[in-house]
Amino acid sequence: MASGRASFSVTKQPLFAFVAAICIFALYLPIATYVAFAFNSSGTGSQWESFTIKWFVKAWQNSEIQQAALLSAEIAAVAATLATAMATLAAIATTRTSPYRGQTFTYAIINQPLIVPEIVTAVALLIFFARIKVWTDYTGLAYLIAAHTAFCIPFAYLPIRARLEGMDLTLETAAADLYANGWRTFRYVTLPLLWPGIIAGYMLAFVISLDDVVITEFVKSSGQDTLPTFMLGQIRRSITPELNAAATGFFALSVFAVTVFYVINRKRSQQQ
Amino acid sequence: MNWKYALAVTGMTLLTSSGTAFAEGELHIFNWGNYTSPDLIKKFEEVYNVKVTVTDYDSNDAALSKVRAGGHGFDIVVPSANFVPIWVKEGLLLETRPDQMENFKNIDEKWVDVPWDPGRHYTVPWQWGTTGSVVDTAAYKGEINTSAIWLDPPDELAGKINVPPEMNDVMYAAIRYVGGTWCTGDKEVLKKVRDKLKAAKPKWIAMDYGLEKFDTNDYDAAFYWNGAAFRARETTPTVRFGFPKEGYSIFMDSVAVLKDAKNVENAKLFQNFIMTPENAGLISNFATYANGVKGSEQFMRAGLKDAPELNIPPELQAAGSWQEICPAEVNDLYTKIWKDLLK
Repeated sequence: MASGRASFSVTKQPLFAFVAAICIFALYLPIATYVAFAFNSSGTGSQWESFTIKWFVKAWQNSEIQQAALLSAEIAAVAATLATAMATLAAIATTRTSPYRGQTFTYAIINQPLIVPEIVTAVALLIFFARIKVWTDYTGLAYLIAAHTAFCIPFAYLPIRARLEGMDLTLETAAADLYANGWRTFRYVTLPLLWPGIIAGYMLAFVISLDDVVITEFVKSSGQDTLPTFMLGQIRRSITPELNAAATGFFALSVFAVTVFYVINRKRSQQQ
Repeated sequence: MNWKYALAVTGMTLLTSSGTAFAEGELHIFNWGNYTSPDLIKKFEEVYNVKVTVTDYDSNDAALSKVRAGGHGFDIVVPSANFVPIWVKEGLLLETRPDQMENFKNIDEKWVDVPWDPGRHYTVPWQWGTTGSVVDTAAYKGEINTSAIWLDPPDELAGKINVPPEMNDVMYAAIRYVGGTWCTGDKEVLKKVRDKLKAAKPKWIAMDYGLEKFDTNDYDAAFYWNGAAFRARETTPTVRFGFPKEGYSIFMDSVAVLKDAKNVENAKLFQNFIMTPENAGLISNFATYANGVKGSEQFMRAGLKDAPELNIPPELQAAGSWQEICPAEVNDLYTKIWKDLLK
């Protein structure tokens, strides 16, 4: 293998194209079918009749879908903002300091939601929040927002940290040399350079929050169905193309967010 | 100091406003997904000036564990018959005495003294239905009032049968089919059940929810629920529902008020409200299952009232019965057979 190592390339391995094709097929064909059937005039979603956008109109006018979609967007926006703010601070605290005791531990704690199975977190949150709900009598959105913020943090943290580690430290040192205090260095040097990482982190966090089913299902109180939990509730009965349409809209939103993430990332790597 | 006061008031208002609604009262319903008629909710909101929220669950267990944890904020839950005794035993339900409510006189007598809530001290009927055989009669002309449709499939239907992934319903029908009684722990009977199911499974095309595939003839038969069979017939007119003469299970979901409900009065109003024939008709029109209210037929949409799926022929009524919760050790045996079947 020693001779092969220098020119090792994944894409040149035998069967690479074949395996890649299977993956793309398995991942995207169901989505493509699902999206296509959002435009199908037949109501049962198993046979193609003719092209229509009536399901989009119906979904748009369905007050339950509206409420659920709005709630999803609301939670995602707030949770992603909070998570990104905290992740930024955490990323600075774990990269711009001299190594300290417990740094690895801190790192593990921040990324805990990536490691612990979601269902475990969900059940724990159900029991924990239920107690608080009983004591405080408050059953509002704060619980969902807190839960979403918590599991979004690592997704925001990783791109921000990667950006911080890739940044040229000499610029910050130079700012300090020129008598900029800590805050001014951060405000005028670190933050502008870090901005693409923050946006990328925000977009990821937003999409992750938008997608969540398990934790939301366990934490939600009355009237707090998000679009994913609402769709889950429909499965037992017949699924109409209305749901295809709603999901397609959500899919488009997710694709948009990920595209923004990608474009920003590419810009970043071009700058460097 | 005035602005500080104003600020404080605004702050307090903002803090509390997220928890309270805008109408006079509130009612929070926790029900199965896609099961609550929006027209019914709208009518209730208008009549009583109450803001209603409906939140979904997708299984009895999920609803139970959520409410058991506490702090859920719901007022009303709609458990299935076999789960009601658990809710009552755990002290989760409020004894609202629907039997003393004004509209209780409309409840069909056969739904009053039910084994899981004798005399209806806790719950009000929501909807009920049965399992059975769904067959496209264009593909098969023989007898359909039998579980043989999917347990000993005729050649015309083999490879075109769907069975839903519902352990209790499938086990129930299979046990009755081989001549056993529900909750039996008799190994001889259960061996027959297992062999029957395992022999039949290769002739099934899928174990999924939904009957949509009848319209493409991917399915020509299924073991399923009668309300869904009615909807399948609406798109594929040759689809018929059979009540298996060997035995089939009946389910009923009932509306109960939670002990820790915040809006008890509104919840009781709702229980009383759905016992009028007109409102019960709205419930059935949406989900296409029968309800337990006399005279509601005249408020059902065309075709639903006389639907053969919702009216059990007299000679087959005796074959249907409730599905109690079996003892844990029996349930373990059933789970074992079920897992073996799914392999």
